Parts: sequence; structure tokens; C-alpha cells
Amino acid sequence: MLRAFSIQPSTFNIHMLYLLLIFFPITMAASAFVLRKNSGLAISIALGTVITCMLIAAQIPLDNPTRFVGVTLTLNALNRMFMLLFLALGGFAFVAAWHLPHGENFVPTTLLLLSEISGVLLLQNPFITTLLLAVTGLSAVLAIVDLPAGTSSLVGTRAIAAALKYLVLMVLAAMLMYIAFVLTDIFRPGELPGRISLAHFILALLAVSFALRLALIPFHAWLIDLMEHAELLAVALVITLLNTSSLLVLLMAFQSFPTLLIENELSLTVMRIGAAISALLGAGLALGARSLRRGLAYLILYNCGMVFYGLSSVSTLGLTGAVFGALNQTLAVLLLLVSLSLIERPDGRTPGVQRRDLLRRWPVAGMGLLAGGLSLIGMPPLGGAMSHLLIYQAAAEKGWPELLALLAATLLAGLGLARAAHEHLLGPSEDEVVPEPLMLGETELDRPAPRRLAPEPRSAAALTLILLLICLTIGLYPGPLLTTIDGAIRELAFIRAL
Amino acid sequence: MQINWLLIGIGVTAAVVLLFRDWRLTFPALLLNYISLAIFLAEQKFVAPDMILVGQMSTLVLVKLITGVAVTLILTLTALTFSREYGLENLDEFGLSELRRAARAAQRQRASQPFHMSDYVVPFWAGILALFASTSLPWIYAIAPTPAADFAWYWLVLTGVLTIATASDLLKIGLGLLLCASGVDVLYTAVVSTPSASGLNVIPLALLSQVHILLALAIAYLSGLLYGRLKTLELNELYKR
Repeated sequence: MLRAFSIQPSTFNIHMLYLLLIFFPITMAASAFVLRKNSGLAISIALGTVITCMLIAAQIPLDNPTRFVGVTLTLNALNRMFMLLFLALGGFAFVAAWHLPHGENFVPTTLLLLSEISGVLLLQNPFITTLLLAVTGLSAVLAIVDLPAGTSSLVGTRAIAAALKYLVLMVLAAMLMYIAFVLTDIFRPGELPGRISLAHFILALLAVSFALRLALIPFHAWLIDLMEHAELLAVALVITLLNTSSLLVLLMAFQSFPTLLIENELSLTVMRIGAAISALLGAGLALGARSLRRGLAYLILYNCGMVFYGLSSVSTLGLTGAVFGALNQTLAVLLLLVSLSLIERPDGRTPGVQRRDLLRRWPVAGMGLLAGGLSLIGMPPLGGAMSHLLIYQAAAEKGWPELLALLAATLLAGLGLARAAHEHLLGPSEDEVVPEPLMLGETELDRPAPRRLAPEPRSAAALTLILLLICLTIGLYPGPLLTTIDGAIRELAFIRAL
Repeated sequence: MQINWLLIGIGVTAAVVLLFRDWRLTFPALLLNYISLAIFLAEQKFVAPDMILVGQMSTLVLVKLITGVAVTLILTLTALTFSREYGLENLDEFGLSELRRAARAAQRQRASQPFHMSDYVVPFWAGILALFASTSLPWIYAIAPTPAADFAWYWLVLTGVLTIATASDLLKIGLGLLLCASGVDVLYTAVVSTPSASGLNVIPLALLSQVHILLALAIAYLSGLLYGRLKTLELNELYKR
């Protein structure tokens, strides 16, 4: 049959692998949607899908572009690494969903997002990737306003408001990005003298659209709202899968249109300073946050600012730091939010009281929260340390004021984390009962039974430990990942051109 | 000077979406906007005609018309079914009483909010500002191959953004986003089809239409959720509680 259609078997197989990566999760999302009332079965199906997709991704030959319906599909080393990471994160999220609160449609929505992100990573067309990013934003809205199956409560108005804000900002970001890519299609360097260069306009559009997607200050409002009012597993998906894939699209945009960078030296300086201010403000706000969720949201903002700084430094060091930082951010944020979700479970004690002993009450989740926070601020020996170091080096190349700004941001973020830990985690145990002497006529049997508090759910605790170990391993042995990222960055045409 | 009636159609229908609040007016205006836009794209001949239906037209025009009809249908069906109640059987007594309280509050709000001319002042002046910008930008910063196409995309994007900025209910925000998407659609079709550009590709065009439809679905879903929760689509109620 293949011979009849004059298609070489190998090309046909590669086409099939690409299409499977995009369409298999969608079909399984449909199955999971049908089975959504049976959470266990839906999660098992999703885990099987993720593992299958990882095997398929591992089979695809690298840097072997192929055309399909007029569109180029290819997978490079960097994108494969991130695709495997995203699929693994999806798998971790499904495992976490066994015990942690999540919406009825969480599993199908996650599969849908994984399929769309596979498309973003495989398709080498800026228009298509932009529209796919817009579609991911629309799909994520489903997860944000989702309620657990058979719940007797109503969806919160604040959750609807957060979803609406996210929807509007993501669609606007996609529109700006699309306009920028349309303009790059007709942009010729040096044309139309006498008016503002199209290159400035395009870079400004790209900067604002990616700042919206990556939640850089002052475009960060959606992330704070999501952290405060949405289910944490849904937020984890948005930050880890959607934001990081946006970063890769920005890298692809730089790679496709290197003239934008060559003609925009001043604009890049503005972007770098903006990113440094975003990191500084995020860290400062983390220090003054009034709740744990808000404080962690600002820590994530700080980290987004650092990563964006590395990217806008447009140097080998900065870009390697940014990509490595984005990888660490995905792991640290998932660890942070899974731990926070565990900590916020009803624990048998009086609800509505702010606790200070969460590390003692939930040792694994408390450790995960601390480790995730420390990884975000780049504390050795956790994963974020090396990426921070590279970004500091890139900043030092640009001048000491920028390096000082980043160091000050890290210091503030560290203080913010220390404050959050002091207020919520490291306090003395609140469950120690002081034995009181028996009253007259009272026996031991008359006393109420000692209260037994539920332990941490095993699967979620094991997942937290695994994520913590991964963060630690990457921090201690960053070599293999760093070599892959560094190699991929050095291959980028715009780096060589600059 | 020849009057371009399709451009006027695009301008007037987008202005109706920007100015008015009642969906019975804005949804037909949105449909007419899609129809005017589709015929405008055919008239400007950005894509070679490949079909003979009513005269010669391209498949692209048909796709835009189908997208417009689908989007308007989704939103209209949502608006028509607001009065129905879904999923009440799972709610506990607290949820049901909250819904009753929300219904009473929405009824009070409707009764205490008669027609105010002042509600239209900001959208009106925003529209004037958008008109001024859209007529001058094609001369100051021309991007599309023709001034008409430049006016169309600038006008649609600006009215869309201003509709979002002045919106008081969720459906209006959706309409603003759809206008923005239409503006970007015109820009893409006009610019990328020029000989110096890379040329139109079927997948981005299909995905653009899909984004329109998914956006309408997302807005319909959120509107349904909001109305089911607060018995109103007013945004100030969303942030009040």
C-alpha cells in the first residue's frame, strides 16, 4: 500500500509518530472525559497515555524535518528534552490527583493540554504555534473553573473571575504575538526609512505578549488570582506546561528572526531592565505577602523575572541559564504546589485557624514546600542553583548594576521565603496536649479518646519525595542536562550571528 | 470617490457591538460583521477565487462565513438558555439558598437599574477615538497592502480592545475578544497573501477559525457558569462577593 502511494516507509513512519504525539492524547482525553466520574480509571488511562507518548517521543529521530500538509514538523534535542519533561510532569500531576483535590475534568484537560503542547514543540510555524498557545489558554480555563465530580458546592465567583482574567489576557497575548509574527513575515531590514522601524514594533509586541504569558510584573495579575482562587493542581499545569512552552516559543522566534535582535540592541536592554525590575518587585512583594499562597505566587513571579532576564540577555550564558532555569522552575513549581496542596488538606484540626507548625504536622509536604521555595531562589544544592549562577554571570557581563539588582532580588526572595517558613512551617507543635490531673471522681475512661490526626497520603507523599530528590539530583549533578542545553543553545543561529 | 459599503458595514457593526449592551442587538451585529468581513476579503481579492457559487469566490470566504455563523449560534444558544437550571440535584441546602439569594439580588439590581444615557457616554467617545485612530493609522503606519484593509484591521482591533475595556458584562468581553480576533484575521490574510510574504497556509487559517469557535465556546461556558452562580452576567457582581 505504501508503494502504491509512493511514500517511503521511513517518512511515513515518522509522519505517524509526529501525528500520534499530537492526536493520541486528544483521543485519550475524549475517553477520559467519558470516564471522568470514575477518577481512578481515568487517571490510569492518562498515565498509560503519558508513558506511551514518552516512548513515541524517544523514537522520533532528532533534527529530521518532515513536511505534512504544507507544515514542517521537526524535533530538536532541546524540544525533545522539554517534551519528555512535560509528559513526565503530566504523569506526576496524574499521580498527585489520586489524593489531592482536583476537578472532574482535570484528567481530560491535562491530556488535551499535553497534546496541544506537543503540537507547539513539533510544528515549526510561528503562526500555528501562536494559535496553539491561544488554544492552550482556552483549554486551561476549563481546568481553572472545574469542580470535583458530584460536589455539593458551587463554583466560586473568584475562581470564575480568575478564569475570565486569564482567558482575556491569554487571548490578547496571542493576538499581539500573532500580529508580531505577521509583521516579521513582511519585515525586510533597512526598509521604509523615516518611520519607526518595524523591528522595534515587532520586538515590543513580542515582549508584551510573552510578558503576559510568563506573568512578568506588571502583567502578572492573572497568576496571583489563579494561585489564590483556583485548584493548585490546575495552577501547576498552567505554570509548568504553558509558561515554559511559551518560553520555548520565544526562543524559536529569536531563532527564526535573528535580525530582530541585531536591530534592537537598545530594546533588549529595556527588556533586560524590565525583567530585573520584575524579579525585584516579585521578591519584594513576596516579603510583604499576607498569605502563604500569595507569598509563593510572588516567589514564582520572582523566578519568572530571573528566567526572562536570562533570555533577554541574548548571550550563551544567559540563554543556557534561562532554559535551565525554566526546566528547574517546572520541577520546583510542581513540588511547591503539590506540597501546598497536601498542607491545605483538612487535617482533623479546627479549620479556619492559621497554623504555624505545618512542617511538624506534614513533614514530607513541609520539606517539599521548603525545597521548592529554595530551588526557586537558586539555593544550592537544589536544581535552581546552577541556572541562577549562569544568569548572574550573564548579568555581570552586562554591568554591575544589573548584577546587583538580581542579587538584591534573590536576597529579598530569600527573606520572603524565610518569613513564610517562620510564619507557617517552623513553629512549635500545636498538638501537644498537656496532661491534666484527674478531677475528683473522674477516671481515665471518662476522658475523651486522644485525637488521631490523619497521616500524609502515601502516594502524594511519595511523589513529593521523588520530586524533591529530582530537584536535589539536578542540583548536585547538573552536568548532563547542562551539556544538552548548552549544546542546543550554541547551535542557535542568532547566537552565532551575535 | 467610491464608497466601500463593506468597509462601512464592518465599521457600523463593530460600533454597534462597542456601543450597545443588549445581546439581542450585539449578536446580530456580530454576525453581520463576520458576513461583511468575508465579502470584504473576497472583494479585495487577497486569495484567488476557486469556487463558483454567487459569482466567483474563494473557499476562504465560505470558511469565514461558516465560522461567523457558528460563533453567533454558540453565543445565541447560550443566551437563550440562561433561564434553565443545570446540576441543581447535586447541590446541598447551603448552595441552594445561596442561589436563591443571588437570584433575589439580581432581580433587585435589574429593578433598580433603568436605562441610563450615561452608560453609553464612555463607549461612544471610545468609539470616536477608535474611529480617529483607525482612519489616521493607515496613513501614518501602513502595514496591509491596501488602506481599506489597514482601516479594517485597525478598526476591528481597536473597537475590540475598547469593547473589552468598557464592558460591564461577560458576553460583551467575549464580543470584544472576537472582534480583536477578526482584526488579526484580516491582517494575516491581507499581509501574508502579498507576493513578498510567505503565502497563506491552510492550517493557520483553519486554526484561526477554530480559535474563533473555541473562544465563543469558552465565553459561553463561563457565561453559563456565572449566570448559574449569580443569575446575572454583570462583572461588578462578580467582584463584589
